[in-house]
Amino acid sequence: MIALVRAEWTKLFTTRVWIGLLVGACLLVGGFTALFTGLAGSTDQNGQTALPPVSDPQFQQVALAQISGAVVFAVILGIIGMTQEYRHRTATPTFLTTPLRGRVVAAKVLAYLLAAIPLAILVTAVDLAVLEIYAGARGAAPSLTGDNLRVIAGAASALVIYAVIGVGVGALLRNQVGAIVGALVYLYVVEPVIAAIGPIASAYKWLPGGALRAMTTPFGGPDVLQPWQGALLLLGYGLLAAVLGTLLTVRRDIT
Amino acid sequence: MRLDGSDRPGTQDRNPGGADGEESPIPSASAAAAGPVRVEVRGLSKTFGSVRAVTDLGFTVEPGSVTGFLGPNGAGKTTTLRMILGLERPDAGTALFGGVPYASLPDPLRTVGAVLETAFHPARSGRDHLRVYARAAGISIGRADEVLLQVGLGEAGRRRAGTYSLGMRQRLALATALLGDPSVLVLDEPANGLDPEGIQWLRGFLRHLAHEQGRTVLVSSHLLAEVEQTADRVVIVGAGRLVREGSIDGLRAGGAQTVLVRSPEADRLAELLRAGGASVTAEDGTLTVSGRSAPEIGHAAFSGGIELHELRPHSSGLEEIYFQLTAGSEQFAAHDPATVASPLEASR
Repeated sequence: MIALVRAEWTKLFTTRVWIGLLVGACLLVGGFTALFTGLAGSTDQNGQTALPPVSDPQFQQVALAQISGAVVFAVILGIIGMTQEYRHRTATPTFLTTPLRGRVVAAKVLAYLLAAIPLAILVTAVDLAVLEIYAGARGAAPSLTGDNLRVIAGAASALVIYAVIGVGVGALLRNQVGAIVGALVYLYVVEPVIAAIGPIASAYKWLPGGALRAMTTPFGGPDVLQPWQGALLLLGYGLLAAVLGTLLTVRRDIT
Repeated sequence: MRLDGSDRPGTQDRNPGGADGEESPIPSASAAAAGPVRVEVRGLSKTFGSVRAVTDLGFTVEPGSVTGFLGPNGAGKTTTLRMILGLERPDAGTALFGGVPYASLPDPLRTVGAVLETAFHPARSGRDHLRVYARAAGISIGRADEVLLQVGLGEAGRRRAGTYSLGMRQRLALATALLGDPSVLVLDEPANGLDPEGIQWLRGFLRHLAHEQGRTVLVSSHLLAEVEQTADRVVIVGAGRLVREGSIDGLRAGGAQTVLVRSPEADRLAELLRAGGASVTAEDGTLTVSGRSAPEIGHAAFSGGIELHELRPHSSGLEEIYFQLTAGSEQFAAHDPATVASPLEASR
């Protein structure tokens, strides 16, 4: 299994996809964190506070939760990791080398779970750096203690789980473009719509997005699960995708 | 170009009793590490929807020989090979490598090397492609450079596979198959995209792997000429069923023995031969004579003072079988450069 995981890393790092995803994730998270920091303490037309000032714990948690904005890159990383085998037809040599296909999917899950850890660390570092410099200049950089730390840990570990979900989704759908478009539509259209429609909004907390929100909301609340529940739920989605993907991969013909 | 793979490290100690004959011209050239492996296919069947792609197909591939897997396009060759290799699930039947199905081989790349479609990530170099599979199979990373040299891709190995020509892709696919120094090689239409020089090289290479190194080689083609020049044995399939299996020589002998004669005085020679009791058909100044041997025809022509331009004995068994199969099949690629100068073409 170690050999297979290392082979997956060789696949990952011998093309440049990972650089693009890493840079994209850092830009997205860094950009939004800077934007939020810039808008901190501002008021809307009615003189209401739109965003609390930088010293407010609520602002700090929102700013730190921006780390989880990179889940889209984590899920795409996992999707590409799996679907490139079908897109470039390398599934044939891959499954010739490892005819027990479940081992291939398991190796990919493990490889991308581990590969997402440095991604999560880097993205977290970018978020913290922006806050340290920009929010620091505007008053106070957030302290890395208590609830703040919980938000960081929740958001960063969500990135890792989303990479696993990506591998599973890729194994289920096999079509790279379809899987990525599907994931984007789901994350940015389906989940927000469900969350916005009153009668079914309560279902949102059971979806991956709701689980993610739970992991970055330290207090829980009526519409969110406890952080640990969110983490378990998201992990469940990741495992479900991986197991379903494995079952289908083992059964289907490689053509 | 090195054809022997002679400096595989560790081959000697892994293979004390290999099948390399003492007559092998290269002392260190040995059979694959795992020793000779016979491939046995029994009762293979596969249906796609309402199309019966393969029906009750069975044959054996022997070590130490090149077996041609011959059939027109759409005969089910690729499906069969993919089922043998565990990529597609047969509805019925088994394929065993030394008694073991592919999926149960403890070290598949060291037992079987396969050249199927040429599948590479275009942004990955050929060398990195090989390293991926070496790593996954627990083969030393240095082996990637060895097989690149073996197939003649030494320098190109560092370039992105997306920039490769079709011929280079075939060579890289072959290099991938050779990574594990396998006892069995399965190749699906490996000559596609190779230039004539590459085809020549491939033929020699496959014969060397089989005859000198005792490996089992199964190579598919839709071109009789291609198979005739490479293979010792042939498995012919049509519409997913076995048509014939046997040695090339045996199948050839099965058909009618004829002699092809070309002469500027073909009509007079035909008359002369017919008068002698031979059966002659004439077409464009070329006679096909049966019932007389080449020396007899030559003597008759000499006695009659007739000039001969060509006198060639010809066994039509294999061609007849294959022609019946491919008759009416548009896909039969007669214009492939590989057919140039083949007996098949010359006999028309």
